[in-house]
Amino acid sequence: MNAIDPDIPAQLAADLPRDDVVRILRTFEEDLGRLARELSAAAGAGEAEAYRRAAHSLAGAAAAVGAKRLEQAARIAMDRRDATEPRLLAARIAEEAAAALAELSRLADNLSGSG
Amino acid sequence: MAAAARVLVVEDTPTQAELACALLREMGVEIRLAECGAAGLSIARHWAPDAILMDIDLPDFSGFEAMRRLRAEGIEAAVIVVTADASIRTAVEAMREGAVDFIAKPFAKARLTVTLRNALEKRALVTELREVRAQLTRDRFFGFIGASPAMQAVYRTIESVAASRANVFITGESGTGKELAADAVHRASPRAKRPFVALNCGAIPRDLLESEIFGHVKGAFTGATDTRLGAAKQADGGTLFLDEIGEMPLDMQVKLLRFTQTGTFQPVGGSSTQKVDVRIVSATNRDPWAEVEAGRFREDLYYRLYVVPLEMPPLRDRGADVLLVARHFLASFAKEEGKRFRGFAPEAEAALAGYGWPGNVRQLQNVVRNIVVLHDAERVERAMLPGMLLRGGGGRAAAPVAAEPQPPPEPAPAEPPPDTPAWTARLAWSPAAAEPAPAAPSPPAPFETLAAVEKRHILAALAETGQDVPRAATLLGINPSTIYRKLQAWKAEEGRAGSG
Repeated sequence: MNAIDPDIPAQLAADLPRDDVVRILRTFEEDLGRLARELSAAAGAGEAEAYRRAAHSLAGAAAAVGAKRLEQAARIAMDRRDATEPRLLAARIAEEAAAALAELSRLADNLSGSG
Repeated sequence: MAAAARVLVVEDTPTQAELACALLREMGVEIRLAECGAAGLSIARHWAPDAILMDIDLPDFSGFEAMRRLRAEGIEAAVIVVTADASIRTAVEAMREGAVDFIAKPFAKARLTVTLRNALEKRALVTELREVRAQLTRDRFFGFIGASPAMQAVYRTIESVAASRANVFITGESGTGKELAADAVHRASPRAKRPFVALNCGAIPRDLLESEIFGHVKGAFTGATDTRLGAAKQADGGTLFLDEIGEMPLDMQVKLLRFTQTGTFQPVGGSSTQKVDVRIVSATNRDPWAEVEAGRFREDLYYRLYVVPLEMPPLRDRGADVLLVARHFLASFAKEEGKRFRGFAPEAEAALAGYGWPGNVRQLQNVVRNIVVLHDAERVERAMLPGMLLRGGGGRAAAPVAAEPQPPPEPAPAEPPPDTPAWTARLAWSPAAAEPAPAAPSPPAPFETLAAVEKRHILAALAETGQDVPRAATLLGINPSTIYRKLQAWKAEEGRAGSG
């Protein structure tokens, strides 16, 4: 499965002017960097609530742009019943974030340059 | 969807917030964004959004808690819960907390559009329903007090007609509030900030009526020492209320007809024509069409003035309004007179409700004032009421219309309380026994005492006003309570004279 579900960006492009889509993707890039750092820091410090909140925000942001794998990983982190070691999950989320970011950057660049 | 709809987005994740705002901008709505529950509540209080897109997982407290606080503060925006957790449990909880709908992230424009449109339509219907209910049950309207269906119909007619410039013709028995209705038509209209000029056609000598309505120039007639504006000019841009229009002489009706046709008039003695923008509200306690058929009122003027009819219901047809109005007068007069009255005993209320009130609200007003002036207690007991009310039944029902001019209705019951000395009771309760009016005074004895002159003068004023104490007091330039005290004193004098 690709890092990005292509149907979601396509739907955004159909619903919104190109500038809006580019702005959403750029906002996601900023969110991703910040939230991934917060998640890792919370995992390292053992702060469960901060960890869960960062995961929740990541899941929401990822869903908005179609970053399905990242969203799924973040949802596992949100689940209080899940026993996965937070540091391991944080590392997996960081990988998925990097993959999503790479695909979305190409997408945003294409959209920026297509007009 | 209304272009001006206001939508508050409560969302802490910037990507989601950016997406929601971008989609909403495409829909042409006004948008505010809050990044936590507290900021959302603050914006909702001050900005009054029509709808709120509410995220559930917020940094400070949950979206459900935000909804509870909104409801507690009476903020009625349509809340649409937006969440990534699309479980049935979350959906049920959202609806239980008062959300109008539920939308799962991520959402496309089409879904958001439909959801938001439905929410706004539902909110508009709820608002409309509440307004209609409030209108159907309101117990005050401008100067009126009354919640009866008959008065609700009056309120609706006034509201419907207020915005137009159509002439209004008010009918109804004396004391039903025709001038209040005219005033309400004016105050509810776009002319509200312009003058409302009331003229009682029956109270002005026929020779002066034209001058009163259209004004006169200096020297127009003997006594016209200055140019004077008439009511039509004074009411320019506003409303001219012609009370007792049925009393207007036929020659004056011709001039009024011309005025209604052209909006122009000539002041008495003047040579130039003046034009004004005036809405005419007329009133009579007669049947206007019967007056036309009897040849006392011009048919063409009737059609000019009788554009929107408004019939004021008699008090006997207003059900529980009798008690509403009585309580209002009691509170008002008790405050004015410094008395303790706080309400009516149930037996007193039953007597008030069972009486026919031929003099309508004005009679009820006088009865309550009389009680307040003559007594002092926590509540009005049955024994404090005038005798006619205690005997129950109905009182004389005033004819709704009459072919011939009628004397002013009696402001108080026509019969005295049973324990009242005959002549004072008649003075207090019936105009029939009043001493001669000023127009035909009894020849005073030489060097009549001041007290006798005062008494004769007060009784003459009462006779002139149809025993309407407040109006008589206005004529005399004194407080109504003074008249009531005098009446009480004379009654006591009579009692002493009778027992001696």
